[in-house]
Amino acid sequence: MNANIELDHRDSVGIARLTGDVDITQASVLREQLLGAVRNEDLGLVVDLTDARYVDSVGVSLLFELAERLTGRQLRFAVVVPQSGLVARVLAIVDLESVAEIYRELDAALAAMRGG
Amino acid sequence: MKSRVAADRLRDLQSVTDAALAYLPLEQLLNELLTRVVGILDADTAAILLLEDDDKTLVARAAHGLEEEVERGVRIPVGKGFAGRVAATRQPVRIESVKTADIYNPILREKGLESLLGVPLLVEGNVIGVLHVGTVEHRLFNADDVDLLQSAADRAALAIASRVAERERGLADALQSSLMPRLPDLPAVALTGRYLPAASAQLGGDWYDAFQLPDGRLGMAIGDVVGRGFHAAAIMGQLRSGLRAYALDGMPPGAVLERLSRLLRQLEPGRTATVLYLVLDPHGGTLVASSAGHPPPLLAHEDGDPDFLELPGSAPLGATRHATYEEREHYLDPGAALLMYTDGLVERPGESLDAGLERMKVVVREGDGNLELLGDGLVNALLPEGPGEDDAALLLARALPLSGSLMAQFPADLESIPLMRRLLGRWLSEAGATPAEADDVSLAASEACANAIEHAYGPGPGILEISASVSAVGEAVVAIRDFGSWRAPRGENRGRGLLLMQGLTDSVEVIQGDEGTTVQLSRRLKEMVA
Repeated sequence: MNANIELDHRDSVGIARLTGDVDITQASVLREQLLGAVRNEDLGLVVDLTDARYVDSVGVSLLFELAERLTGRQLRFAVVVPQSGLVARVLAIVDLESVAEIYRELDAALAAMRGG
Repeated sequence: MKSRVAADRLRDLQSVTDAALAYLPLEQLLNELLTRVVGILDADTAAILLLEDDDKTLVARAAHGLEEEVERGVRIPVGKGFAGRVAATRQPVRIESVKTADIYNPILREKGLESLLGVPLLVEGNVIGVLHVGTVEHRLFNADDVDLLQSAADRAALAIASRVAERERGLADALQSSLMPRLPDLPAVALTGRYLPAASAQLGGDWYDAFQLPDGRLGMAIGDVVGRGFHAAAIMGQLRSGLRAYALDGMPPGAVLERLSRLLRQLEPGRTATVLYLVLDPHGGTLVASSAGHPPPLLAHEDGDPDFLELPGSAPLGATRHATYEEREHYLDPGAALLMYTDGLVERPGESLDAGLERMKVVVREGDGNLELLGDGLVNALLPEGPGEDDAALLLARALPLSGSLMAQFPADLESIPLMRRLLGRWLSEAGATPAEADDVSLAASEACANAIEHAYGPGPGILEISASVSAVGEAVVAIRDFGSWRAPRGENRGRGLLLMQGLTDSVEVIQGDEGTTVQLSRRLKEMVA
């Protein structure tokens, strides 16, 4: 299954909604679009993985790379992950929380970005 | 004196209708016949021209004193010039003086011929060619000459017709055996095909094909070139190769058919063909299909009534200039069978196509689970009196339930990873894993595959083998084996890959052998533990 990316922008926060399989076969296409989604004047970027079915180590590395770039530019980076499921288990194993703010829902992520 | 002439005539006639001629190979028979004709009629040249398949052109086939005609492959349009007129009128044509006559073939003039006599080669009233003789001296051929030449022509026509029929039968047999593609052997799909030549043993334009695509999916095609005979069969062969070539280039079914339609229009404008092309993910069951005016395949579910696969209406290949072919996605459940066929299998004279399709449904509904028996049953029930007027092809595919242990090979290519993941996921859930367990183990195995693809092999082609089984203590054991040279995982991706393998399974073992490396993953399945 192919991965899909939808880019959105709300109140100076970029939103990238990923669906499908975020894996080694999709990574190069996703990488370019994700890196392009970040604007300098923004507060930060939220990657919404609510409807992603699958994230492998290459997808994980993409998230780590994003985190590094955003933090380097003093921007915030949040990832929305449901409480359970394969994607949640994968991101827990690699400890994504060490480089990104993790939220269960998009609204919570957006509120935190604007508020904090 | 008169009886002397009659006796000579009889001897001459016997000479050209000699039964012993039948034992000669065709080329020798024709040459011998021409030599005798030249001798009897006291002519300088003789030649046999045969009609091409298209019924529009005569081609020089044998000659005496006119060898250039054969060597140069002289082609004469029916209706044009001397020989063309013989073929068009089916009547003997006498030419007293070449100088003043309408002659198409320049060789006749180059040879300095003055008078000509030509007769048609007839088989069951149809012209198959022309026999003609020529003289350098001016000569008026008489009725006896015409009769004798016609007798020789009849003898030649008889021999040619039987040799052609023989050759066509041989070709039909050769074609039939080459039509039987070596069907690929896949762990998750059973395949079988049937080809039935027409009763007349005339060559036909039906074919089926199945092949594995570079990404591990299965391409299946069936088609029917309109028309019969050697020419239709030759076009069929070209389309079959064209389809494979486009498919192996990674094109989806709709694009394959669009290109194939263009190809057919270029090969032979006006010729049409119907084709069905499907791509099956043997592990996930997804089926992408596109049809060019071909009858829809029948989907036989494991339980319940069979139904025809819904496909968008479309034109046959070659029928329109810019044909577009839509794709439809369907799903093949484990246990379900797909029947692809050509109309020769279901059509009977004086009966509607629907009646034939209905009969096919009945066979499938009552049919056996064994695909070979189903194939035989379909042929027996649909063509009870043996081959029909048309040739027929049948291709059957069944998605197999994955039971016991699993063993599959994939090209060592990134594209294989999603396919492997779906295959393993399906096997795990059929083996009793929970959805979460199936997800975890499939992902861990994908990481092992990615590692092998990126590190075991250079840029060249390689093979990955995956095997899986459930151990006696309720553990799923999955082994990913490569046949390359081991190199420690490097880079951040692969470091995280190893972390994921360890986090998602109970144990990860790397076994390095002489022939390659095996990564073995184990995970206890909760519901399997007593």
